[in-house]
Amino acid sequence: MFSKILIANRGEIAVRVIRACKEMGISTVAVFSEADRDALHVSLADESYCIGPSPAKKSYLDMTAIVTVAKGCGAQAVHPGYGLLSENAAFAKLCEDHGIRFIGAPCEVMNRMGDKDAARRTMRDAGVPVIPGCDLVATAEEARREAEHIGYPLLIKARAGGGGRGIRRVFKPDALEAAFQSAAAEAQSAFGDGALYMEKLLTHVKHIEMQLLCDSFGNVLCLGERDCSMQRKNQKILEESPAVCVSPELREQLTKATVLAAKTVGYLGAGTIEYLLTQDGHFYFMEMNTRLQVEHPVTEMVTGVDLVKWQIRIACGQELNIRQEDIRIEDHAIECRINAEDTAHDFRPSCGTISMLHVPGGPWVRFDTALYQGYAIPPFYDSMIAKLIVSAHTRAEAIRKMQAALCEMVVEGVEHNAQMHIDLLCDQAFIDGTYTTDYLANRKA
Amino acid sequence: MLSRKLFKKPKNRLEGEVDSAVMQAEDRRVACPECKAIVPQATLQAQAYVCPRCGALHAMSARERILWLVDEGSFHELDADLTPIDRLGFPSYAGKLSKAQEESGEQEGVLTGTATIQGHPFALFSMNPAFIMGSMGAIVGEKITRLFEYAAEKRLPVVGYAVSGGARIQEGIFSLMQMAKTSGAVLRHSEAGLLYVVVLTHPTTGGVVASFAMEADVILAEPKALIGFAGPRVIEQTMRQKLPQGFQRAEFLMTKGFVDRIVPRNAQKQELAQLLALHQRGAMA
Repeated sequence: MFSKILIANRGEIAVRVIRACKEMGISTVAVFSEADRDALHVSLADESYCIGPSPAKKSYLDMTAIVTVAKGCGAQAVHPGYGLLSENAAFAKLCEDHGIRFIGAPCEVMNRMGDKDAARRTMRDAGVPVIPGCDLVATAEEARREAEHIGYPLLIKARAGGGGRGIRRVFKPDALEAAFQSAAAEAQSAFGDGALYMEKLLTHVKHIEMQLLCDSFGNVLCLGERDCSMQRKNQKILEESPAVCVSPELREQLTKATVLAAKTVGYLGAGTIEYLLTQDGHFYFMEMNTRLQVEHPVTEMVTGVDLVKWQIRIACGQELNIRQEDIRIEDHAIECRINAEDTAHDFRPSCGTISMLHVPGGPWVRFDTALYQGYAIPPFYDSMIAKLIVSAHTRAEAIRKMQAALCEMVVEGVEHNAQMHIDLLCDQAFIDGTYTTDYLANRKA
Repeated sequence: MLSRKLFKKPKNRLEGEVDSAVMQAEDRRVACPECKAIVPQATLQAQAYVCPRCGALHAMSARERILWLVDEGSFHELDADLTPIDRLGFPSYAGKLSKAQEESGEQEGVLTGTATIQGHPFALFSMNPAFIMGSMGAIVGEKITRLFEYAAEKRLPVVGYAVSGGARIQEGIFSLMQMAKTSGAVLRHSEAGLLYVVVLTHPTTGGVVASFAMEADVILAEPKALIGFAGPRVIEQTMRQKLPQGFQRAEFLMTKGFVDRIVPRNAQKQELAQLLALHQRGAMA
């Protein structure tokens, strides 16, 4: 086992990883920006080092600074958390080049899955259903010909895409050329790669993702699905497991496809495959996330498997001692993301000092956060300040538990979205589980 | 203390239906108005509604009182079929009546009949404090009158348990007339040389005090019972004077000669049995 791990992240996920390390007897190293001097992870870790100024670009994304600290303090591995450098193949390579284990997917898998067009083709060739579409199209003329086959409405997407950039929705043939040109230009400037492909635009779909754990002995474990369809501007805000809309037969098909996909790419570590699920029960590969997800606790709550600990063990070369047949999902878990944002004013980010904090408690209530009373939330980073997760034997009971926990939670000093969650949990579309990814956009407040 | 406003109230609906059967009679509890002790209803019932902690007397319904007092199985009710009527069409009286009937399970605020204590036969009445404040309407007066007439005819002594808020205002003048009617019946029973014992319980006031409740040969009272015509607050407001401590209580009235003896509840059976035995041959003997 690694004796010392550097956590190249901040906020609740850094705290989450540090906790796992502490349980395993691993020494922890935190890195922080100048703005994060008072952050919880800095004090919680055994050692902490400042790696640069407040903007993430100059600190948490500074690969050389992080590797230098890791080398200097004798860390054997780096855990990247989610976001930031977690899916950066160059960082993974830099770590490996300096003899530091990167706790994540292998570089070549990251590269292959990071190229959306290549990922799509890999999955299609392996027999995993992909959204009907075409490979790279070089010109607007070629795009027009392919569009005839795909049919409208459709999506133009950048091969190097991410964060919603280089994507255009096209509803009519005469809008195609303009959309093609602007997407190419945007992708070129954002990613330095203007290559585009196209897919059919699916509407009223569910975002269903499957959690994976793969070790270096060829064991592939699928830990069930998460329904992440409650989204606002492509950002998930509430997740649950299992999904109401996934029948046991569909779950079996999804598991089979996911295991097949993982084996095809030679996956290692914890990962997630995202699918779009249509109302008639068809699912299509969307993308693979080669990292830990924000919403991983819902899977942990229903399976009892500690994903972070297993990430570390797998990176260290240990074999999974859990078999697929051991994974029985009988409970139901829900996670609400608590964001510091002003829901009354178009969700603009809110900063401030936490004047009062009360963490909800009780059985099967989990509150992942890096907040403490008196902590000043800096304005430079993500607005998510906490995750509230509950589980119960039935979904109805989990909803009740979440309602009670949300009402008990007190975070004063900043605006946050707990009330929106309280309201959402009462919505009929949520209660019957029929909400789709466009639900929040069309919801009347 | 943390402000309660910090926490929101969850909108969770009640799990399942409201279960009214949860509070069964056996585990129903009542708070003693005197010492505030929480006492199981069953314990209280078994101890004749005397608080086991402070000895305060709780109210008893007319039927409970009779069943506790008399020899088992000896009570025979009279005039059970007499029911009150809303003769004046007094606003909301009909509703009050049916509510009182439903809650008490009785037709009126008094029960009359015959029974025995330690084998001594007698006629008795027992008033119900919960039935429209134990007020006296036309039927209450009628039942009392008929009881005394029956007792006179059968040459039986009468024992009465009085508790009342006074004449029933919803029956207006008909209520007030009961004072004269019952007094007449008591007089005829007395002239026949028969014994009448009354036990004044908390509270005995108004038109009942001004008629049959104070006309007995022997007037007993329960400890601390409020006994009077107008209530102490009314007197205080009218006279603009502070009333003495314990005014209108049984103990106060005994010092003034209105009450013959104060008998604790647990001694009443014995006391009444003795009085009935002593006057076996009538009040004249």
